[in-house]
Amino acid sequence: MATQTDSESGTGGVMMRDRFVKRLGEVAAAGFLVAIGGLLVWILSTQVNYTLLASPLIAGRFAEAFVLVLRIVVVSSLLSVSFGVMVGLGRISTSGITGRIAKGYVEFFRGTPLLFQLFVIYFGVPRLWATGQFPIQDWAVPAAIIGLTLNHAAYVGEAIRGGISAVPDGQMEAARSLGMSRVMALREVVLPQAWRNALAAIGNDQIILVKDTSLLTVIAVPEIMSVFRNINSNQLDPWTPLVWVCVLYLAITMSMSQLVNGLERRSDWGSDSGMWGRLSSGSSDADGGDG
Amino acid sequence: MADPLVEFDGVDKFFGETHVLEDIDLAIEEREVVVVIGPSGSGKSTLLRCVNRLEEIRNGDIRLDGRSVLEADVNEVRQQVGMVFQSFNLFPHKSALGNVALAPKKIRGLPEDDAEDRARELLDRVGLGDQTDSYPDALSGGQQQRVAIARALAMDPKVMLFDEVTSALDPELVGEVLDVIEGLAADGMTMVLVTHEMGFAREVGDRIVLMADGRVVEVNDSEAFFERPDTERGRQFLSRLL
Repeated sequence: MATQTDSESGTGGVMMRDRFVKRLGEVAAAGFLVAIGGLLVWILSTQVNYTLLASPLIAGRFAEAFVLVLRIVVVSSLLSVSFGVMVGLGRISTSGITGRIAKGYVEFFRGTPLLFQLFVIYFGVPRLWATGQFPIQDWAVPAAIIGLTLNHAAYVGEAIRGGISAVPDGQMEAARSLGMSRVMALREVVLPQAWRNALAAIGNDQIILVKDTSLLTVIAVPEIMSVFRNINSNQLDPWTPLVWVCVLYLAITMSMSQLVNGLERRSDWGSDSGMWGRLSSGSSDADGGDG
Repeated sequence: MADPLVEFDGVDKFFGETHVLEDIDLAIEEREVVVVIGPSGSGKSTLLRCVNRLEEIRNGDIRLDGRSVLEADVNEVRQQVGMVFQSFNLFPHKSALGNVALAPKKIRGLPEDDAEDRARELLDRVGLGDQTDSYPDALSGGQQQRVAIARALAMDPKVMLFDEVTSALDPELVGEVLDVIEGLAADGMTMVLVTHEMGFAREVGDRIVLMADGRVVEVNDSEAFFERPDTERGRQFLSRLL
């Protein structure tokens, strides 16, 4: 009797504590919102020079940088995903040599900073030619695209590998036992499923790629952060250009996560189409039972 | 009678040090239904999986229609052998129709329309003519397994292998799958089944193969086996079922 009362009051205590923690969280979140929101309103109303913000000079320079970043992102993104799929396939290759090379690739590009890789490509590579003999004039943007591609292909490759190993072995076995070659089974059966499994991780990585373009300021790519640095040192006004920087990065990253969400929904063959199918199959089951 | 359709000739297989198949001799005639039974771990599934080389053997030979499967191209062998698994293994990103039409389309290079017409026929044959557009997620276990049977039939195999195809099903769904297999038997399909459904084994099997510890211990006509088995092991096995 006594133990029962104990355990009941114990459960009650836990539930009370749960509710208290929830309330505490709400208060903390609301406090955070008020503090940050207040700070933001204060900055936007006292620190930002709106005439400067809208001036064609500044807007124009940010627009130019934005277009350049967008182009670098689109090209590096397409290249890094395509190359990343190859890296992922290399990681699961049954050939030992391919597997080891892919592993080494991933270890190197994940294990060293992107900044180091950019320096190697931007400063190091041209020095492999005799002075003045390097054939490419404007090396900064190509170097940026190569660096971002090689770096992010390593992450995409790992996402693809994870996506492939999450596909049950029975899928490969079923495809092979129909008489498909290993390559055909991978292409038709395993990879479409691996792609869906890997999509969230790949999307995550591509958003990081967008933000990584901010590092390109150190290899003389006239991207968004370098425009900020110019304007800040000319006008001695950090907050006005920072508003531009924030809005422009969010414009790319938020549309990118919308795109990833859309792709995820499209490849969600399980639940969307599944629900209607389940409803109709439920009725046909009943028919079958009667028959 | 002509050559047997499937013939095991002194087959030995090891998993590491374990001798999982020991000197198997077995001949399966065309249009015959052979049911392989025996305790768990006796090598039934392994025996089945050697026919389409999902498992490789160490010694001996397996012939399909007179040709050694070891010497032939593995993909060609598998196109002639339909296999259905315990866990269905349907492709979740394809509809029922897509699952059945995939191999004929991609391997045979059949035009989309022809492959899908044929797939519709096969789904009809397994009683799922009204579920062609459903995805595996939306189908019951019994329905999924029937799609898997249709998928295996799509390559017009010479022999069908069934590896405990009802073991993962809720009891009330077993019947619909067994009905389909019975239909195939009636149509003269050559089949090798591994199953724990003894009533079904007796009903649909022409012959029973009893395995124990990697060996074939008795091969007998179905009725004879269940009435009065020839071997002591057979009697023991049946008595444990009761």
